[in-house]
Amino acid sequence: MVQNNPRPSRRGVTRLGQSPLSRRLVLGGALGGAALGALGLSACSGSSGASSEGQVIWSTWGSPEDLKTFDKVQAAYTDNHPETELVFNPVPSYSEYHSKLLTQLSAGSAPDVFYVGDDHVASLLRNDVLLGLNDQLGEKTAGLSADDFNERLLEIATLDGELYALPNDVNPDTLWYDKQALEDAGITEDPAALAEQDQWTTEAYFEMLAKLQASGVHGAAYYNYWATHYSWITSQGGQVYDGDAFVAHEDPLAAPALQDFADRFVSGEQIVADTLPEGAGVGSLLVTHQLGFLAAGRYMIGSIEDAGVDTALYDIVRWPTPDGAAAPTGVAASYLAVNAQTQAQEAALGFFGEFLNTDGQRLRLEGSGTAVPSIEGADELITESAYPEHAQTMLDMRDLGYANFAVEAAVPDLSGTISVDHMLPLYEGAKDAATTLDEVAALIAEETAQ
Amino acid sequence: MSTATRNPEAAWRRRDRLWGMAFVAPQALGMAVFTLLPFAVAFYLAFTEWNGFGTPQWVGLANFADQIGDPLLRRSILNTLVLALVTVPIGLGLSMVLATMLNSIRRRGLYLLLLFAPVVTSQVAIALIWQQMLRPDGAFSSLIARVLGVVPPDWLANPYTALAAVCLVTIWASVGLNTVIFMAGLQNISPSVLEAAQIDGAGVLTRFLRIVLPMVSPVIFYQSVVAFISSLQTFDLVFVLVKDAGPDNGTRTIVYHIYDEGFQKSDFGVSSAASIILLALTLLITAIQFGAQKRFVHYEE
Repeated sequence: MVQNNPRPSRRGVTRLGQSPLSRRLVLGGALGGAALGALGLSACSGSSGASSEGQVIWSTWGSPEDLKTFDKVQAAYTDNHPETELVFNPVPSYSEYHSKLLTQLSAGSAPDVFYVGDDHVASLLRNDVLLGLNDQLGEKTAGLSADDFNERLLEIATLDGELYALPNDVNPDTLWYDKQALEDAGITEDPAALAEQDQWTTEAYFEMLAKLQASGVHGAAYYNYWATHYSWITSQGGQVYDGDAFVAHEDPLAAPALQDFADRFVSGEQIVADTLPEGAGVGSLLVTHQLGFLAAGRYMIGSIEDAGVDTALYDIVRWPTPDGAAAPTGVAASYLAVNAQTQAQEAALGFFGEFLNTDGQRLRLEGSGTAVPSIEGADELITESAYPEHAQTMLDMRDLGYANFAVEAAVPDLSGTISVDHMLPLYEGAKDAATTLDEVAALIAEETAQ
Repeated sequence: MSTATRNPEAAWRRRDRLWGMAFVAPQALGMAVFTLLPFAVAFYLAFTEWNGFGTPQWVGLANFADQIGDPLLRRSILNTLVLALVTVPIGLGLSMVLATMLNSIRRRGLYLLLLFAPVVTSQVAIALIWQQMLRPDGAFSSLIARVLGVVPPDWLANPYTALAAVCLVTIWASVGLNTVIFMAGLQNISPSVLEAAQIDGAGVLTRFLRIVLPMVSPVIFYQSVVAFISSLQTFDLVFVLVKDAGPDNGTRTIVYHIYDEGFQKSDFGVSSAASIILLALTLLITAIQFGAQKRFVHYEE
């Protein structure tokens, strides 16, 4: 019957470019669609998680090299539990990992076991999406106990007495230094040797920076994040938080110390690692003898070994202090949590336990591991590896140090906003330390009041 | 058949309508699921406080009040408008010149290929390539240093030059498409009109200003509306090219602001309110463009 149809009249059918009316209609439609498209951004989501029984999906972030360190622990789990299928869904970038994880948790399609950064764990556990661990730790988690971990690292993973996550491993920001760069700058003293005698003072450090700059290399580099600002303040005897209250703006030592620190960025003696162009990382500056000190974790071992330089030229030291004695500094940590909605709770807890217990940490961190064990009983990994020479410093800094402050970490991206919108202008000389700390105090008061 | 004989038109009309609906259905379904539904959800969320978990709490107009008073949103709007006001006129002007030049030469395939290549390249790849070119020791800065003998700035480290760099890359990436569309418009101009003008003594410039421009004005108008809307939606380029919205939020665009509030700060209510503000801004600007159309656009009727 279709072929008998009369041809549709051309009435109402117009070609673009012939009638202004149709053009306006088409334009209007295109505009509406495009404008609505912008709105869609804030309401979209993706998914790739959601497991079933007998399958454990887990996820973390990391470069391909970082992810290789998980091969052994995964193989061990698969050998021990052939009945469980272990699926690994990693994400390359740290910030994209958390955006994806939050969306997946919101949509109910998150992995069963997943990493959470120390700037996200405190906010996440307030949303009832992580499995409470108080009743689970023990037999179900391969003998794991909360008592095996540094208590100060558990604070941001605890809410109302319930523990929701445990640190996978930690990375105190040790100061890596290049002995050759120091020697070339005419520095005869060894920072680690000074620290052993409790003579590693702020004054000595600043003198070294000046000499390094005079010799044509960068003195030191720091990443712009919470551990840098707060470690400097606490290492100089200042106080950042008193309980849940931010007090650095009222502390008599904090602002002057932070100003001294910032002045060294403005003078060029110190550089902010994050502001270097893509591809020109601080790691490569260190291994090419263009940088004296770099605040970084154990993962630097890999960078130094891969660079093919003489590894004996590099060692680590704690942060300098006014009197030369050790002081607490920040410890970067990542946490492991179990999805509250997992369909395979028993298997997920089993993997959680075997990943975090002493054996799991050994499998992940031995050799040129990228971090320091978070659990008691695996310290020989660090001391036996005998690299760098003062590797014990990592353990000392871990035991003396602190994780990000819970009240600040509980507000999503608050630490990031403080670093990017307040501390970076300070390090670039656009503001002074007292004003910056006042602004940070006001921001924290506003954000945590909500 | 008797019904069909009595009223044959109704039968084919009904069938046509059904077929029409069948053909439109996939598109309409896609539009409903991926555009209208997210729009409705975003509109609702704009009046709530929601961090992605639990039930959204109704807060009325609080998110809009928060956003209107937020210096970061004002900065984003300013950056976005600067980006649009710089890239649209320069980009379209450059494309018009290129299209006119290419229209007058016969072997233009290679030029078109070179101009069009960035259009078919992903924005992420473009951003990554320019990120390397714009480094202080990158190709772009080295070229400036060699040719002009001056030390170029660290483009992406200064709020003003970072925004300028984003404008430059945006223009570079879009000029090919605009040129091709302008060329299509130019080829629609009847040669007899231009010849008649030439016989009447009109020079090259007069012909361009009095004949070519008015006759392609509908295309220019269409291109300016589309380019303006896409400038207002700039995100992927700045997201990859410049870290953390650039130094001092120098390249923070409205859509970046929406992303930051929603996916970094987990404040989906505020993020949705910002996106409604973007919608209002887009509608306002396009309404102004449509208003100007009556005066500047010539339709051949």
